[in-house]
Amino acid sequence: MTTEIILILIAVIVAPLLGGLISGIDRKLTAWFQSRQGPPITQGFFDVAKLFGKEKMAANPWIIFCAWVYLVAAALSVVLFFLQSDLLLIFFVQAIGAVFMVIGAMSVPSPYSQVGAQRELIQILTYEPLLILVFVSIYLATGSFQIDQIMQVEQPLLFKLPLMFIVLGYALTIKLRKSPFDFSTSHHGHQELVKGVLTEYSGPFLGLVEVAHWYETILVLGLCALFWSTNILAMIALLVVTYLAEIIIDNTMARMTWRWMLKYVWSVGLALSFVNLIWLYAKV
Amino acid sequence: MSNLLVVLVLLPFVAGLACYLLRASFVRSLVVLGTGGILAVASIALMMTGPFTYSPGPVLGMSWDSLITIADFALLIVILFYGFKHNNLLIKLFSVAQMVGLVILELFWVDHTAHVPTFYADQLSLIMVLIISIVGSLICIYAIPYMKEHEEHLHLETSKQPRFFLFLVLFLGAMNGLVLSNNILWLYFFFEITTFCSFMLIGHDGTEIAIKNSVRALWMNSAGGVAFVAGMMFIYATAATLDIQALLASGSATAVGLLVGLAFISFAGFTKAAQLPFQGWLLGAMVAPTPVSALLHSSTMVKAGVYVVLRFAPAFAGTFVATGVALCGGFTFLACAALAISQSNGKKILAYSTISNLGLIIACAGINTPAAHTAAIFLIIFHAVSKALLFLCVGTIEQRIGSRDIEDMRGLYARMPRTAWITITGILTMLLPPFGVLLGKWMAIEAASDQLFVVVMLAMGSALTVVYWARWAGSLLDMPGGEKPVPEEQALLMRLPLLTLCLGSVGLALASPAMYEYLIRPMFASAPFMVTGGVLSGPMGAFAVYPLFLVLGLGLLYALRVVKKSRGMTFAAPYSGGANVKGSNDGSFVGPMNAPVKIEAGNYYLPAFFGEERLTTFANIAAIALIVLMIGGAL
Repeated sequence: MTTEIILILIAVIVAPLLGGLISGIDRKLTAWFQSRQGPPITQGFFDVAKLFGKEKMAANPWIIFCAWVYLVAAALSVVLFFLQSDLLLIFFVQAIGAVFMVIGAMSVPSPYSQVGAQRELIQILTYEPLLILVFVSIYLATGSFQIDQIMQVEQPLLFKLPLMFIVLGYALTIKLRKSPFDFSTSHHGHQELVKGVLTEYSGPFLGLVEVAHWYETILVLGLCALFWSTNILAMIALLVVTYLAEIIIDNTMARMTWRWMLKYVWSVGLALSFVNLIWLYAKV
Repeated sequence: MSNLLVVLVLLPFVAGLACYLLRASFVRSLVVLGTGGILAVASIALMMTGPFTYSPGPVLGMSWDSLITIADFALLIVILFYGFKHNNLLIKLFSVAQMVGLVILELFWVDHTAHVPTFYADQLSLIMVLIISIVGSLICIYAIPYMKEHEEHLHLETSKQPRFFLFLVLFLGAMNGLVLSNNILWLYFFFEITTFCSFMLIGHDGTEIAIKNSVRALWMNSAGGVAFVAGMMFIYATAATLDIQALLASGSATAVGLLVGLAFISFAGFTKAAQLPFQGWLLGAMVAPTPVSALLHSSTMVKAGVYVVLRFAPAFAGTFVATGVALCGGFTFLACAALAISQSNGKKILAYSTISNLGLIIACAGINTPAAHTAAIFLIIFHAVSKALLFLCVGTIEQRIGSRDIEDMRGLYARMPRTAWITITGILTMLLPPFGVLLGKWMAIEAASDQLFVVVMLAMGSALTVVYWARWAGSLLDMPGGEKPVPEEQALLMRLPLLTLCLGSVGLALASPAMYEYLIRPMFASAPFMVTGGVLSGPMGAFAVYPLFLVLGLGLLYALRVVKKSRGMTFAAPYSGGANVKGSNDGSFVGPMNAPVKIEAGNYYLPAFFGEERLTTFANIAAIALIVLMIGGAL
């Protein structure tokens, strides 16, 4: 019980702080790639603090409602992860946040927000089947969806599921909305949809969304960590390499179209999944 | 005991006749209301009495078995008559084939001196009776004001409600009889009544398209009837009994004839459950008045199909037939989830969602473990409640706005606030944790985990489901800030069923750990799940019902409180790059020639990826191949 409470506190308080730092490092590295000084690593916290200090202004009440539900769902999925719950349950809970983000964007009669919402739905459509396939393959390799059971493996999952890790990488790039998959919104200001799905979130409510995004970053990295849970140093190394790869891809790729995303990611993702699952199945 | 059975099975027949014969609409309303209430109370009483076996005594010196046989042939003759009336060769062939099969079976094969218990109820049957009697009754009650309005819209001079309510109420009795039957011949009789009732109800309006779709429903379900008769013949030829419990008690079948028989009966269940390639009849049923769609999709027709497969599943556990059933169900689940993405017609979205969920239930029947059976039962319960709710909502919306296209429902909250939030609640209960449909999906995926192809199809189908529900909910809420919704007028007998089902879909999900403990666990020798503090734990994972309800509930309440406090807030106009029309919050902007341009928005339906023209043919071919594999695998 005490352990669980501590884990919950870590998930609710420490995780988003870590997520904010990671996004700060992200911006610092991106600036470095672009020969810029870039903001300090803690800039994300200053941004959110400023947003919370702004006047409460919204396009309609549902935006407010959806921002809060999004935050609660994102935090809850991280809590469930830290409590080492069922991967399928975590998948379904994170879907709550995704759904409410879209509903909030669709509730406003704004052209940018509406198109952003549609594109966000397509991104969800693209990554969710792949993500759940990753979870199923983890089950097939370990015999359980429960994270505490999955952590008991003696050999890193990466060796049994190397292709599934690549599939997970695709899903997470889409979920973090990094190039070439930043159709629905982007931190870059040059996007043709203004801020797309986030256009009408503003002030404190945009702050909520930013914090929720930090939670999601932690969840994403947590899922990657499952692939090497036998050694803490190797796990950290895997996470660092993976996230650096994300940043490099983000900075070297142009934004593509959602039609391309559906065809390309699904065909590659499903093919890799199929090969890895068949290989795993034959091996058992 | 016998009193409850008379009430649950015979009362709807009598009440249906009363609705037909008594022409005063007020009296008919009283009959429907009274029957609904009595059925609900009787089903609860039956549940409380627990499992039982029962055989009714002779009536007027004739055994019920003989009466059922006569009624069977009479019904088939009526169906044959409609085959001639609509000049449909398939109906003629199928009804004649059934008659020939029945003649052989009844006159030459079956030993009528052997005593077969007529009725048998276990937890599955009792749960089904609850669903049929409560959800079905609510739909009948909703139909009272709905049909009045419906006929006013059609400007009918002579009301057709008497016949409508005859078949609507009679349907409930047929369903109760079906799920309580232990004699396969009786099950077949009630199975055929549901086929006939659905035919009459789908064609109720008498329009050309209604007749066309009702005829298709009739021949497709008659194909199921032929398969059912063939299945009975194979089973009797091999096992020498038509007693379902005796069949199940002998354990999993190994005899080829028995397996073939079970495969045919599963096929019959597939047609009734509108599994690929038979989805056409259920999609076509949308032409019927909304109470018909709601009844077919939630508590009667399609549940009869999955019930039949689930009832016989223990007899083919561990065989190739079981694997085939799981693959057929899993494939339908995935394919129909994909097809639903391209639909903008609200009822068609609901129809594809229904077929998809039925595929999931059938996949569970094929998997055939206690965990899978638990998942199937949960899905049956929660799907019935949520789907009934959503169909009644769409019916209400359609009557008000004259359209069932979700693009026309954009901004519905401003016009019909109560129906809009009930609809959104229904959508969320179909989609998200901690609600029951998702709990059932979670259980199903975990139960499927040792069958690679099935688990992959179930997982991907679950993921595809998010898109079409989320955009529907989002469309309903579209409205500018600061605008107050218009209060909505609604007939009491419409509002009560909607609110009851809405509260039921949420409340039942909250009660799911208790439902598992008291209703489902007694079915199994070894419990597949353990309930601790509202957490359902299995060998492969855990679903935290109460903790999720607590956290999400508190989060929801807090969010609602923040929304309430925002009443006095200034709402900004949507961003338009500074080109907003002054004084307007509705998103209008100044366009060419300084003329205001109103915003328009639409959903992406991705017809190039998920359109019916692209997917249906291939899905049907694949489904036929899987069915042939299932039946052929029994040989």
